[in-house]
Amino acid sequence: MRHLLRLLIAAMLIGGVGLATARAQTGTPMVSPNDWKTYVDRFVDPSGRVIDDANGGISHSEGQGYGMLLAFLAGDRAGFERIWSFTRTELLIRDDGLAAWRWDPKRTPHVTDINAASDGDILIAYALARAGRAWNEPAYLAFARRIASAVGKVTVRNVGGKLLLMPGATGFSAADRPDGPVINPSYWIFEAFPLFAQIAPDTDWIGLSRSGLAMLAATQLGPARLQPDWVSLARGAAPADGFPAVFGYNSLRIVLYLLRAGIKDTGSLETFNRNWIVRNGGVPGIVDIKSGQTLTRLTEPGYRMLGAILACALNSTAIPQDLRTFEPTLYYPSTLYLLSMAMVVERYPKCL
Amino acid sequence: MSLKKALLLVVFGGAIVPAIGQQMELPPGTPAGLATPTPPAATNNPAATQPGATAAAPAKPRPNVDESALRYFAQQGNTRRLEAEMARLKALYPDWTPPTDLFGAAAQTDTELQRMWQLYAEGKVSDARSAIAARQAADPSWTPPPELIARLNEAEARRQLINASDNGQWATVLRVATETPALLTCANVDVLWRVAEAFIKTDNPQRGQDAYGYVLNNCDDTGERVATVQKAMGLLDDARLAQLLKLERRGADGQGEFAALNNDLARRRVGRAADDPSLSVSPEDVALLEKSAREGSEAGDALLLGWYLYRHGEPAKALDWFKIAVDRNGGAKAAEGYVLTLVSAGRALEAEPIAYQWRDSSPENRKAYLDVVVSLLTADPPPKLAPEVLTHFSPVVMKDKYVSGAQALGWYAYNTGQVRTALDWFQTAVSWAPDDEASAYGLAVTLLRLREQRALAQLVARWRNSSERILALVSPEARRRLERKAALEGTTAAVPPAYGRPVTPLEPSVGTAISRAQTDRDDTGAVATTGTTARRLTPEEDFAAYSGKGPTGGSGGGAASALQGKRFGRCVTLTDAGFRSGRLSGAEAAARGWCLMELERPIEAVAAFDLAIKNGDEKTAQDAAYGKSLAYLRKGMTSAAQVAAVEAPQNARRSAQLTTDILLQRALASYKDQRYVEVIVALDERARLVPEDQGLMMLRAWAYFHIRDLQSAERIFKALAATGNTEAQSGLTAILDFTKKNKY
Repeated sequence: MRHLLRLLIAAMLIGGVGLATARAQTGTPMVSPNDWKTYVDRFVDPSGRVIDDANGGISHSEGQGYGMLLAFLAGDRAGFERIWSFTRTELLIRDDGLAAWRWDPKRTPHVTDINAASDGDILIAYALARAGRAWNEPAYLAFARRIASAVGKVTVRNVGGKLLLMPGATGFSAADRPDGPVINPSYWIFEAFPLFAQIAPDTDWIGLSRSGLAMLAATQLGPARLQPDWVSLARGAAPADGFPAVFGYNSLRIVLYLLRAGIKDTGSLETFNRNWIVRNGGVPGIVDIKSGQTLTRLTEPGYRMLGAILACALNSTAIPQDLRTFEPTLYYPSTLYLLSMAMVVERYPKCL
Repeated sequence: MSLKKALLLVVFGGAIVPAIGQQMELPPGTPAGLATPTPPAATNNPAATQPGATAAAPAKPRPNVDESALRYFAQQGNTRRLEAEMARLKALYPDWTPPTDLFGAAAQTDTELQRMWQLYAEGKVSDARSAIAARQAADPSWTPPPELIARLNEAEARRQLINASDNGQWATVLRVATETPALLTCANVDVLWRVAEAFIKTDNPQRGQDAYGYVLNNCDDTGERVATVQKAMGLLDDARLAQLLKLERRGADGQGEFAALNNDLARRRVGRAADDPSLSVSPEDVALLEKSAREGSEAGDALLLGWYLYRHGEPAKALDWFKIAVDRNGGAKAAEGYVLTLVSAGRALEAEPIAYQWRDSSPENRKAYLDVVVSLLTADPPPKLAPEVLTHFSPVVMKDKYVSGAQALGWYAYNTGQVRTALDWFQTAVSWAPDDEASAYGLAVTLLRLREQRALAQLVARWRNSSERILALVSPEARRRLERKAALEGTTAAVPPAYGRPVTPLEPSVGTAISRAQTDRDDTGAVATTGTTARRLTPEEDFAAYSGKGPTGGSGGGAASALQGKRFGRCVTLTDAGFRSGRLSGAEAAARGWCLMELERPIEAVAAFDLAIKNGDEKTAQDAAYGKSLAYLRKGMTSAAQVAAVEAPQNARRSAQLTTDILLQRALASYKDQRYVEVIVALDERARLVPEDQGLMMLRAWAYFHIRDLQSAERIFKALAATGNTEAQSGLTAILDFTKKNKY
């Protein structure tokens, strides 16, 4: 009964996912093949490694997951297979079934931190699940199940009655650090959870989704009411020790994840609207939590696109002309751009 | 796909599927794939099992190789001969890859598939995967050949297994091996080693041994076989290793293939025994290693021998090997062994420089250095230390806030008469560790000695309830309690020692005193008779005894040569003018001081020595301070002498002499003044430096008698009486009289 209920909620939450799957199957890709080719040429090497060119050319599980998801959204089975082959061979080596998060081409062994990053694992499992369904690849679905189950088992914890997504397999709990548990609000990739509820039902993904929304509300800190990249939940919510106390490159993507999951009725979006669109002409920024001051305005297209999809979703504002073509810059904003554009194509074609 | 082609792939690209699957039992939770037995293939030729050796089209222009035989065997379907020919050509032409069209036109028509094989052969697995997916997307009816998928799976699994193994993900290693048993072949000995290690690291050494055993039973490459034993040496115990060594193969000359490992094996056994003194090794092993160490130029074997011999009771030999290891740049471990061996041989003084040099190399080296110096500082009697020893040690102690080091320096200073310095060190130790009783005790003893009554009282108040021996410094009652306790427990030292040296300020135990007294008697061949002590040790006589050893002036000019020529009057005359103007050099002033001493003019000598302290270098100042102390002693001014003694740091031996003399004077003076507690305190301090002879024991016993500590007095009198000392008998009588008197 409970399971059924969960599925029902999942179905309601999925909303457009079914539609998206249908579109992918019918061959209308949400990422244009040209844009995707530009991305691949720039950031994916022939071994299937997605290169973070702003971080010394390293790779990580997050980048591999983004790459697989974009390949799926572009309908590129060959590209998907290429990136997945690297991911499986080089990163998916942990005893617990999660991916090692960091891979450095300049070091031997290449894996330089065996810890997992749960957002990377979620992205990989989510991309596999969607590709497995759309392309009818049972092997992808089997891996999606295996990884999603491992994410649930290893990184989803019930802390004081609240379901938390720990950022890694180790190092962030109350036992691991004085200000633990420490979480990263941008690791909740909401669009994945309804699907996970179907393929890995041992974990309460819908509950995790719900606790994630509550967490986003509870971690709106400082005068600007924005989420720090890393939050200590030891006593209430506060910026975690040892990380810059900023709303930064991590938390920026919260807006993308909420909108991609079709979640609009949340206070966080209003805050982003106030900070980016009302005050800053659509330009997001790195914001100091304590003072609420903007430290850096992020004018690259990939970041401005985050403001544009927010304006599109909240106010039906059309995507500005200069943001309609993909101009690759660095790996991270370029990724955010393609995921944003895919969301507009899928959910808000009227903004184009 | 032709049948012939499939066959070829099975034979060449295909694995020599191992029997290992039957041998290995996997940890719980591991899929059962590995447990499924697959028949071992008949052949085992690594050259033929190179990935991609079958169908790859070469990237470079093909070398000009005669492939006619190859084609003939292929046409005949004679796979055995075909394989042998292929291996031959491969060995002759390393860059050569077999042609892809061995089986006629069919293989050539599918160029896309050919390209996939080529990508695989070039190790471009992701590209091959991508090409397959692209073709499947374009042509849903197309399925890749299972052989190609199997080879790609193996290639990926191999990488994955190696990556997991490099990162200690042993469960993944075993899972991948289970899922891909085709990897477990002699062509992939590295993979077999990693699987073996994964078993051992997950507490399954038997399965690890099986995996190594599989290699030794089935694989032929001698280099890999030797390397297999080397791997096993690092991870398996001796019994399991011995079983593997039985799988050694012998050549026609009877030489075993593992002979080259004899030194390694001996090294391993000696290494184990070096760590565990309860293990011993055969003389052959030691001889082998000694030979290797002598013939080689590396430090390793010498170091190993050093540790082995050191831990097996042969320090002299160990020292030689450690010395060699140090000379061969053996580094910190060599230095540590050398230092420890020297210290255990009682040669800590020699060990100090090298211990100091290596002190920052490792925690062990640091500990070795600290141990060396602490053992030097707390040795009994204090050895003569070069100034460098202390100038090295003090900053280390200060930097590390090393409480035990500060204490050791405190005791050393105390025992060498540098009481003010001792005070500094003990105060430092207490400031670092306010709750450390041993530091507080050192401070208390020093304060007592300096008569710093107020500070002592404060310290005693702090420790009154937690340290009996500190309380006992000021409370005769506490001292008696301690004694009784010691007597009950049958211990000889009433107070726990610091640094293993007896610290018994209030009462050296009678047993110890007696044995010391006997030692004295043995040394001199005669028992000191009671009553001679006080007479022998008048200040004048004392000075006369020591003046012969007194310093001579160094560069004291005319005064010095006059002193040496014993023309004391001339010596004084020569220096009169300079002395009055204060322009005398330190050495001349000291010479004048010594001359005045010879002329029985100690008060004037004090003034001369003062000038020498002021004008002289460190060494001259030391000499002068010593002379000044003697001058005061000569006048019976013991307190003044003590102050003079600390005006310049005294070298160890001279300070000890000076301090014992001062203490003796103080004891005698106190006795004369009927201050009996102080007699005992002075004697206790003196007993820390030199053995107490029978005369002074008698003095001590009488002091106890006078403060009515009859138990202590009686114990000493009895002990002395037992050696035939008649004076002691009168002491016992006095006690008896006193107790009788009190009874009535």
